[in-house]
Amino acid sequence: MSESSNPIIQFDHATFGFPGVIALQDISLSIGMGEFVGVIGPNGSGKTTLCRAVLGLMAPLTGHLRIFDCACGELRCHHRAQIGYLPQKGVVDRNFPVTVLETVMMGRYGTLGLFKRTTKKDQAIALDALAHVGMDAHRDTALGHLSGGQQQRVFIARALAQQPKVLLLDEPTTGLDITTQHNVIELVAHLHKELGLTVLLITHDINMIRSHVDRLVLLKTRLFAAGPPAEVLQPDILRQVYGKDVVITEKDLVIVEDYHHHH
Amino acid sequence: MFELFTYDFMQRSLLAAAMVGGLCSVIGVFVVLRGLAFVGAGTAHAAFAGVALGFLMGWPPLLLAIIFGLATVWITGWVEEKGRMKLDVSIGILYTTTMALAILFIGLMKTYNAEVYGYLFGSVLSVTSEELRTIGGLSILVLGLILLFSKELYFIAFDQEMAEASGVPARKIFFLLLTLVALTVVISLKTVGAILVFAMILIPASTAYQLTHSLRTLTIYSILIGISTSVSGVLISAVWDIPSGPAIVLLATSIFFLAILFSPKRERRMAPAA
Repeated sequence: MSESSNPIIQFDHATFGFPGVIALQDISLSIGMGEFVGVIGPNGSGKTTLCRAVLGLMAPLTGHLRIFDCACGELRCHHRAQIGYLPQKGVVDRNFPVTVLETVMMGRYGTLGLFKRTTKKDQAIALDALAHVGMDAHRDTALGHLSGGQQQRVFIARALAQQPKVLLLDEPTTGLDITTQHNVIELVAHLHKELGLTVLLITHDINMIRSHVDRLVLLKTRLFAAGPPAEVLQPDILRQVYGKDVVITEKDLVIVEDYHHHH
Repeated sequence: MFELFTYDFMQRSLLAAAMVGGLCSVIGVFVVLRGLAFVGAGTAHAAFAGVALGFLMGWPPLLLAIIFGLATVWITGWVEEKGRMKLDVSIGILYTTTMALAILFIGLMKTYNAEVYGYLFGSVLSVTSEELRTIGGLSILVLGLILLFSKELYFIAFDQEMAEASGVPARKIFFLLLTLVALTVVISLKTVGAILVFAMILIPASTAYQLTHSLRTLTIYSILIGISTSVSGVLISAVWDIPSGPAIVLLATSIFFLAILFSPKRERRMAPAA
């Protein structure tokens, strides 16, 4: 297993779940500063639990998890503000009265802390984040009037407005058409390079991310493999997780049983 | 009609209506956006049980209304946070339990007490100077807290999980919101009553919701609608000699339906997809 020398997130034999239900077992993994890591695995493999753990919303039952060199249970709001998080795409009420700029400004709230009001500087940061995702022309548009792909861009901008060290994306392409899926992943890869962000991208779509990530982490309750895509995407490794129906085509396209998420 | 304004009781009523209308419409923005409609209705009935106990035992009714209201919202919030039950189920249980208590307390009273029913149906025209001061003081407290935590309140109304993940102490802010809802209900009991207070919280914000796509504008519209319908409702009630609570609520409801009819969002829904 490849270990990073300068870890920003470090799992050490960490097990997560609820009494009687183990979601992730004995995970040891280090994610280094500036790395682009893709987390893959079938539905119910513990990907979202990993996400909640990194956000400090779930402490390990046994073992340890350190984020920014701070024990997971001690993670406070100001630490959490350093993680730009894009949750699984929920349904945005078309009529919810919020503009694009108001949505992105919310990214500043956790960073600012309580009792502080937003200033022109915060607005400039929010507008800069919008420019990074190519949505600056839509600042006054109602969020509900945008397409699914545009809304994802706005939510990525909200995460960027936190000026985070880590970008944590949970299934960012779910529910988008194939062109938009590619565009969103290209955008994330671009932000990783341009802003030097540590990116943790959780997805079921192996082929979409394999050419962009430094490392892939393969989960199914346990950590089955972590390393460069070429090392992880081996038929024998994938079959341990996805079963015997794994097909790898001549063009290295990985085809696994359809585990698409249903929300 | 203008001589109405020269009466002390009328001045007090208009001031109380404006304060309660403004306060309810501000908290209403967060209640509507966060989907807490039923919590407000439940709190109003719980607070009324507090009032009834106060009259039964000879204790300060407003203080007991605050205790009952806060206990209801805190228990509800706690049960939801622990994941034991959905918010609307637990508030539904407390809603009916406290209403049963209210009926029990009233039944235990040896004589008919008209003042208790004043808290059920509201009587803005009989607000005393002392009550006005209490309403004013509590309104300043609630509005001050809303202003202080407005950005966090907006964020949890939009997406509480996201707010928590991005470093906002979302659960604490949610309990603050529940507390503010309970206080607003108690402040408004005397003027609009336990049954109608919730309309005052819900209708102005829901009306404004029809008219804008911006959080900021929504809040401004809601306040304008809340204050103007409350003050107009009191005037209508005085001029036509009808009960003030229903006058305010029915006027607000009429404007709500007009807003639905002329909502820019409605036009958009009906337009063909671009």
